[in-house]
Amino acid sequence: MHAGFIFLAVIIGSILFHIFTPWWWTDIASNWGAMDDTINLTFWIGGGVFILVCLFMVYCTFKFSYKEGRNVEYKPEDHKLEKILTVATTLGVAALLAPGLIVWNEFINTPKNALNIEVMAWQWGWQYRLPGEDGKLGTAQVGKITDENPFGINLDDPNGKDDVLVQSDELHLKTNRPVQILLRSVDVLHNFYVPQFRSKMDAIPGIITYYWFEPNKVGEYEVLCAEYCGVGHYGMRGKVVVENEQNYENWLEEQETFSSLIAKQKKIEFKTTKIAKNDN
Amino acid sequence: MSDHTLDKLPGGYKGMATDMSSDQTAFKGVQWGKAMMWIFLLSDTFIFSCFLISYMKGRASTVVDWPNPSEVFALHVGGVPVPLLLIAIMTFVLITSSGTMALAVKYGYERNRKKCAWLILATAIGGLTFVGMQVFEWSKLIHEGVRPWENPFGAKQFGSFFFMITGFHGTHVSIGVIFLFIFARKTFRGDFDNGKRGFFTTMKSDYVAIEILGLYWHFVDLVWVFIFAFFYLW
Amino acid sequence: MSDDHKENITPLEAQSSESTTESGGSIKDIDYVRPAEVADQDLYHGHSFITKWIFCQDAKVIGVQYFLTAVFTGIVGLILSWLMRMQLGFPELVPFITAEHYYQFVTMHGMIMVVYFLTALFLGGFGNYLIPLMVGARDMVFPYVNMVSFWMFFVAVCVLMASFFVPGGPTGSGWTLYPPQAILEGTPGSGLGIILMLVSLCLFVIGFTMGGLNYLITVLQARTRGMTLMRMPLSVWGIITATALAMLAFPALLVSCIMMTLDKVLETSFFMPTILQAGEVLDYGGGSPILFQHLFWFFGHPEVYIVALPAFGIVSDLISVHARKNIFGYRMMVWAIVGIGALSFFVWAHHMYVSGMSPWFGFFFATTTLIIAVPTALKVYNWVITLWKANIRMNTIMLFTLGFIVTFVNGGITGIFLGNVAVDVPLSDTYFVIAHFHMVMGIAPLMVIMGAVYHWFPLVTGRMLSEKLGKWHFWFTFLGAYSIYFPMHYLGFIGVPRRYFEMYDSPYVTSAVGLNEFITVAALIVGLSQFIFIYNIVVSLRMGKPAGRNPWKANSLEWLTPELPPAHGNWGDKLPVVYRWPYDFNVPGAKEDYITQTTPPSEVLGAEVEKT
Repeated sequence: MHAGFIFLAVIIGSILFHIFTPWWWTDIASNWGAMDDTINLTFWIGGGVFILVCLFMVYCTFKFSYKEGRNVEYKPEDHKLEKILTVATTLGVAALLAPGLIVWNEFINTPKNALNIEVMAWQWGWQYRLPGEDGKLGTAQVGKITDENPFGINLDDPNGKDDVLVQSDELHLKTNRPVQILLRSVDVLHNFYVPQFRSKMDAIPGIITYYWFEPNKVGEYEVLCAEYCGVGHYGMRGKVVVENEQNYENWLEEQETFSSLIAKQKKIEFKTTKIAKNDN
Repeated sequence: MSDHTLDKLPGGYKGMATDMSSDQTAFKGVQWGKAMMWIFLLSDTFIFSCFLISYMKGRASTVVDWPNPSEVFALHVGGVPVPLLLIAIMTFVLITSSGTMALAVKYGYERNRKKCAWLILATAIGGLTFVGMQVFEWSKLIHEGVRPWENPFGAKQFGSFFFMITGFHGTHVSIGVIFLFIFARKTFRGDFDNGKRGFFTTMKSDYVAIEILGLYWHFVDLVWVFIFAFFYLW
Repeated sequence: MSDDHKENITPLEAQSSESTTESGGSIKDIDYVRPAEVADQDLYHGHSFITKWIFCQDAKVIGVQYFLTAVFTGIVGLILSWLMRMQLGFPELVPFITAEHYYQFVTMHGMIMVVYFLTALFLGGFGNYLIPLMVGARDMVFPYVNMVSFWMFFVAVCVLMASFFVPGGPTGSGWTLYPPQAILEGTPGSGLGIILMLVSLCLFVIGFTMGGLNYLITVLQARTRGMTLMRMPLSVWGIITATALAMLAFPALLVSCIMMTLDKVLETSFFMPTILQAGEVLDYGGGSPILFQHLFWFFGHPEVYIVALPAFGIVSDLISVHARKNIFGYRMMVWAIVGIGALSFFVWAHHMYVSGMSPWFGFFFATTTLIIAVPTALKVYNWVITLWKANIRMNTIMLFTLGFIVTFVNGGITGIFLGNVAVDVPLSDTYFVIAHFHMVMGIAPLMVIMGAVYHWFPLVTGRMLSEKLGKWHFWFTFLGAYSIYFPMHYLGFIGVPRRYFEMYDSPYVTSAVGLNEFITVAALIVGLSQFIFIYNIVVSLRMGKPAGRNPWKANSLEWLTPELPPAHGNWGDKLPVVYRWPYDFNVPGAKEDYITQTTPPSEVLGAEVEKT
């Protein structure tokens, strides 16, 4: 059987697989549909090139299979053809690059009204911090992290007092409100990734990185760490719950602020000292 | 494009392209060892560039104050701190040794065996002096508490980059010094005149070997100029 | 001397013949080649078993040594991949594989395959054997240094393999060795394992610098008479450009390995910021993990072209010989190889789009990455245009080159997805990336390697490999590998991250279990089918059909030595003289469908050859 048939089957099989695949994107739940659109454009152009080149190749294997005495073309160069191909490829590449860069430009410029949320990554879990009433996150340092101060917030910084601390790995967000994720790591590289939101960025110890998105579909989504961080990497999961305003406010009410955490610890300290004194 | 074209090259880029792509050799009249040394030095340049760029990155983004090189590298002469004195002397010695090396190459090609050999020896001694002073500087800083992992003057990375970069450079100088002494002996013995076979090759010795070693030595000197500028003067 | 000797070497006497051509010019004129510029090379001849086969300075022996050592490491890498796929497809069958083991397998598989298998095979294996032959030299310019370079590589492999046996085992940091995790607890092998890996890489770099100098100088300065740069086979162009890349890219790897070793051993903080681990703040501080990434990928991206460019060059030669047609657009192919090589130094941070580096870099690197797609695409067009109006022999070698084209175009296109920065954001660090690089760097170059072995086996051993077994080997390998990696892209689309020990069964996304099982089964079948190849080689060594002279009717010099397989010194008494490029196939007016490079114009007067 002519090998060309099998190659043809591979190409057709690839196209069919693509059309009928059950493994496709998660339903998008954020504003980054433009990324999906650019991927689709790349499929059309890139996929088109793949199919054309491979079909041409298969055609040649059929039409020009070995025959003694065949009239073979001896033409080392064809400047005109090469020029046409160069121009066409450059145009195709530009057609892909332009939308890609436009979307990237949107991605790196966070809208002014985005809510800043600090996502703190550690081996192997997530914690979150919201800015509270004043809209500002207090400064923090890894060196200041203790059991009493799990986020390492500077005690002198007034902005930090009302920060909302979420020590579980479940973060709630309000629909249709852009958020800027400020990533922070206390140990190694991590990456806060929710497939449905499309966006991601590494968390680097020593600096704060960022990305933004606007969740626009109510639901529960799994967080996956997307930068290898040791043996617990695959188990470093979290959850993002996107809900309407009412439910979000309810959740926010239940969370602890930094000042209430400090107060709670002072009370425990006082009680402990009192008991110790009474024992004496 | 027949092979006669090399007899009468066209001008400009076309001529250059024809010459470079011509048969047998791309670089006419260049010995294999010399071409090899140039390419090796290009690779080595990239190594030192990576070191220096990493250093500049580390220094530019330091959160802790970087120590002041003029103070750290000062020598106390008669109770007066003279900034960068030792480094200045080291630089002078190394640059002079490059000069003696260049002269050695010249006399080598003129087949003036005695002068060539003495100049190679002078270069070797210059190199040895440089290494000695570098060792002295290292021991002085270690005595003052500078370590690869921390130092009392400022940012941790100061000591790390200092020891790593000067260590790498010093190793290069030391290897050069060893070869210089070997070549001085070979020249005195007349090996380059006789065409005695080299130790690692089947090729006959020739004075071009001294030029090749000279290339290496000038490279080592040039790297020092950059280290001097970026580490000590900045 | 027999008559067929005339085909290889034109004695000087023939050049001074007084006979004239039809057009009135003398034979001497049209057969003119410039005289020799340098004296013939004086080689060291080994006489004992050790100096002829162990510490041998003959580049051909060294090439085979590199080849065998690289293949050995490749087999280790292959077995590691089976273990990884078992864990991913049928974890219940391999309860002894822990997460630590899995990450160690992942790391060693990656590093072995990229560096110790592919790079060593193309540059050390094919480079050493083919370069002197193809340019008409007797050996490399520094045979002693060449020999030392192999033994450095050998020691580097030993050090790497030793890391399997040290306490803590080999490093499990991923082949990219990112700090801070690579040297901290929480990552397997963060003790001796990572140190041995770094030391092994340093030794590898030193060895390949020695080898690389040899390959470059031999091609630049030791070609035979008449062998201009534009008459060299594309195999040489590919290997030599890759070598130039290696000379300039390995320094960054060396520097990053040295700095990471110091971070581990002396507790310096080049890459280590303030770190809190197990409730304690470690002694590090002030370092930058991103600096490592820049250094690593400044090496890492040229590295993948170091693997790809020799494949590009070799496949061009395989296509033209077996399609009996000149490679289309030779000059453009040369410029494309050189251009891709040069551009490859300006794209590295496309591996770092989501690394947290300054976002403005994204614009620059996306642009350069997509620009580099253009010369690459031109090469693809030229390969398929070469098949147009050719005379294609559908033998095993041609099948492998067709397999290369399919897999390379597929892998190259998915590279465009990832290179376009905004598209990389959802796809980065998912199985899409794994599928992409395996297709374009694993399967495609592997197709070329296998095709090249079938092609040059007759030269090296004097015997042919079995065509029947070859075809079975090809179809199993190509169809199997394509079935592994094409569907794998879709795992990336559903969001499955890479370097996951256990695939989750998440209620939020489509299950990947079935696909993983399928891929694992395909991988095991492809792995096992390589035994067909090994069997073919072992049996054909003894009982293969004798190859005779130039069985493929090729034009390039390696097939034209006086003795086949070529003896030490390659050319006997007289170096060859070259009159044309290696692609004069089916020249109108010529008697045969090929004209070797050493055939003087006076012997093919009727042929309408294009002057090269």
